[in-house]
Amino acid sequence: MKLEKLNRAEAFRYMGHRGGAIPDNIEALADECEAVLLSAVTPKFVWRAFDIRKTENGVKVENTPLVLRGESIAEHLQNCEKCVLLAVTLGGGADRVIRTYENGAMEKAVIADSLASAAVEQVCDYAESEIQDKLGGFHFTWRFSPGYGDFPLDIQAELLTAVDAGRRIGLNVSESLMLLPTKSVTAVIGVSANEIPKGKRGCALCSLRNNCVYRQRGEHC
Amino acid sequence: MDFNELLQKEFVCLDGGMGTMLQARGMKAGTIPETLNLENPRMLIDIHKEYISAGADIVYANTFGANRFKLAKSGYSVDRIIRAGVHNAKTAVAESENPSALVALDIGPIGTLLEPTGTLSFEEAYEIYKEEITAGKDADVIVLETMTDLYELKAALLAAKENSALPVICTMTFEENMRTFTGTSISAMALTLEGLGADAVGVNCSLGPAELYPIAEELCKWTRLPVVLKPNAGLPDPVTNEYNITPAHFAELMRKIVPLGVKIFGGCCGTTPEFIRELKTMLSREKFCPRDVKIPAACCSASKTVIIDRPRVIGERINPTGKKRFKEALLANDIDYILGQAIEQVHGGADILDVNVGLPGIDEGEMMTRVVKAVQGVADLPLQVDSTIPEVLEKALRVYNGKPIVNSVNGEEKSMQAVLPLVKKYGACVTALCLDENGIPKTAEGRFAIAKRILDRALSLGIPKENVFIDCLTLTVSAEQDAAMVTLDALHRVKTELGLKTVLGVSNISFGLPERVIVNHNFLTMALTNGLDLPIINPNSADMIGAVRAFNVLAGFDRNSLEYVAAYGAKKETPAEVKSDMTLEYALENGLKAEGAKLTEELLKTTDPMDIINNILIPALDKTGADFESGKIFLPQLILSAGVAQSCFEVIKNHFAKTGASNVSKGKIILATVKGDIHDIGKNIVKVLLENYGYEVIDLGKDVPYETVLNCAVEQNVHLVGLSALMTTTLSSMEKTIALLHENRVDCKIMVGGAVLTPEYAKQIGADYYAKDAKGSCDIAKEVFAKFYPNEGAEDLK
Repeated sequence: MKLEKLNRAEAFRYMGHRGGAIPDNIEALADECEAVLLSAVTPKFVWRAFDIRKTENGVKVENTPLVLRGESIAEHLQNCEKCVLLAVTLGGGADRVIRTYENGAMEKAVIADSLASAAVEQVCDYAESEIQDKLGGFHFTWRFSPGYGDFPLDIQAELLTAVDAGRRIGLNVSESLMLLPTKSVTAVIGVSANEIPKGKRGCALCSLRNNCVYRQRGEHC
Repeated sequence: MDFNELLQKEFVCLDGGMGTMLQARGMKAGTIPETLNLENPRMLIDIHKEYISAGADIVYANTFGANRFKLAKSGYSVDRIIRAGVHNAKTAVAESENPSALVALDIGPIGTLLEPTGTLSFEEAYEIYKEEITAGKDADVIVLETMTDLYELKAALLAAKENSALPVICTMTFEENMRTFTGTSISAMALTLEGLGADAVGVNCSLGPAELYPIAEELCKWTRLPVVLKPNAGLPDPVTNEYNITPAHFAELMRKIVPLGVKIFGGCCGTTPEFIRELKTMLSREKFCPRDVKIPAACCSASKTVIIDRPRVIGERINPTGKKRFKEALLANDIDYILGQAIEQVHGGADILDVNVGLPGIDEGEMMTRVVKAVQGVADLPLQVDSTIPEVLEKALRVYNGKPIVNSVNGEEKSMQAVLPLVKKYGACVTALCLDENGIPKTAEGRFAIAKRILDRALSLGIPKENVFIDCLTLTVSAEQDAAMVTLDALHRVKTELGLKTVLGVSNISFGLPERVIVNHNFLTMALTNGLDLPIINPNSADMIGAVRAFNVLAGFDRNSLEYVAAYGAKKETPAEVKSDMTLEYALENGLKAEGAKLTEELLKTTDPMDIINNILIPALDKTGADFESGKIFLPQLILSAGVAQSCFEVIKNHFAKTGASNVSKGKIILATVKGDIHDIGKNIVKVLLENYGYEVIDLGKDVPYETVLNCAVEQNVHLVGLSALMTTTLSSMEKTIALLHENRVDCKIMVGGAVLTPEYAKQIGADYYAKDAKGSCDIAKEVFAKFYPNEGAEDLK
């Protein structure tokens, strides 16, 4: 896929902007950063649909060694017979742009970093709509990522293997469970032939809730 | 039969996919495929036999992922798995109808990314591959495949060449945009691997034969080596995970690729013995199409190839000679300063960057390794590695990702013996200076003779002619007026009679004369007219880069003046023009970097630098800090004005370097992003602010081992350590680093920060301070030095 335009408003929010006009000089910097990022990123995603089965240890993803552990993912998938595993990355180009800006143009690094984070979400949205198109006639939950609630991060390696993300989109994980390239996301989407009741979504599940700058300001991310 | 004999055949046929075959035989999901080498050897022997029976001349042992990293949880050693894998394939060959089939040790990517995007170092990658190559010594050929990072592949290829005599086939995985995931281009792959001694190069995996056609076409233009193509069976379906083309269709698509001159064919994911059988049948009816490839003179990074088919600018600024500020940076390990020089030259218009870090009192080899790694992490231009010490050159050549230029060899026997074998081994280009034991010849004839001598020696070592560039040497015209024309005559002869590319450092010409730039840029134009290909100049000088751009228009290289217009036609940034009533405070508040620097320069003429710092810069920073805290401005604005202050400080530092005064420092602070964590943007923001407040920051970077923090704190007697971690998984590294500092009773305070930290957690892991943001770090530093270490730092800053 190709990104045409980045979600500026979202990126400024990541930077802590709380409404009001963005100063012209910051908009101009964002113009530059966006153009540079758009030419440097290589957005890619890969997904696969699997049958799932509830077990004592967690939700078993059939045809993989994956068992999705924790109460929050079990709750997320409770009305689903299938799930889609999704992996998304902007590629190493985004990291390179930010790294280069960090030498002598830290303000651009900060802006590019937030723009890239917004860009990953845009790619996720695009992937999600493709998934919904391809799997016509099903209902879907929202995207649930490792690290949300008590869904452990140490699932990353097996999740990436299940969709062959290393080979297919060049997405890997480090020993400290960081996705590499860093501007990347993995997620689980629940799939059901039946309508799925809206589950709880938001801060209650978040491990950062006690320390979150958005919450301190009465907002959410 | 060995690999070279096999290449005498019309075509070489490889095997097909392994994963699909194992799954079809009931391999359980989640099994590490290589463990089957020991747990079910018969299954593998049978698969190999099927491929040999289908027509494969080479079968790949089931060793693709058998590295330390991927086998960590398997319970088996790399050595056992690989030996068994090779043994199974050998057994299959012996049992098959073609006992002369060869067995390849198959080696894939490690499975985690190398620095700078990842955390694995080049040296660690080398060791991981060395272990695999040593274990697989019974194979007939080594295959390095499915690589997406040229750097990782270089580590593997060096490990193969240095620890084995077996031939090596290298194949990388490309996307439809003609690049790998990490941005490696086809030309860069070919230039780099052929230089490093690969025996065949090619493409495998990712796409089907139809999509790989343009990639194979491009590769065939860039290498003299046999070309390999091992595509997938089309593209997989996300729902069924099945590939979309049939064996017959696969063979038909591959037939269309034969005329490109590909020699070695096989199949990757989704292909089976049936695909190989159809492929073999197709190949038996075709004839190999030999390629007549002329490789142009070129150097490259992993993502950018610079063909020297017209003048290309080598930027000379990464060099301490005659630069006090640069020397200071080297002595202080200030890599960021050097990176700043690199980036500035990229913007200036350089095509290639020279890197010289020679300075008495530092470990030049160590510094060269660090600088080459750091520069290639931020600039994609090819590098010219520059040292008088062959060991330093070798260190640079080892860790360079691409095909660099070596600066330099000369006509002395000693120099040729030391440098040229390195140039050959690492496949670099080389700059050859026209001087020898007797000095610089006074005549063009003499210099030409040395050029010829070095070229002959290079050719005898197997260095291709296009990799040798000649420097006819610029002398100072005010001392030897006739020497300028001698240089140009020699240059012209080297270019026309030897057919070599030429390189010349230009600015020496004008030493001792006023208005040097006039002489420099006219001499440059004369040299270009005489055939100079690689001027070594300061690309930040508008006159010099302008002379090259104008020449490229006038000589017809820059067709339709496109580049010239791109450089000068549009609204260009005018050099900071400072309105007479603008104040430094205004520049700081409005994020005007260039103006800030200019105003500081002006102020330095009349004002004491300490007064500028204490009365203007610090109060301005305090104000933006307060505005940030109150929400009046947001993060990018805070950072922007900090950036302006930084450029003001840079001017003041230069002033100090020139006047020889001691540096401004309120105290030393270590900053590090902890082991395992590579998100260091937060730490870098903190660094900018702390430096602005006059602290000397020792930036240890990201993924920093616990011991490095300890050793630095002890050796440099640092009393404040700042640690950053972004992930819950790396908080334990933070805790361990703190514990290590405490165990060793280091006299220092520790502040910590990062998205997942809380004040409570900071306390729990033994930190003295929790910094909620960059501004908070500055407040902490102020308190720590005032309260606990009042004697540290420069007196006049108190």
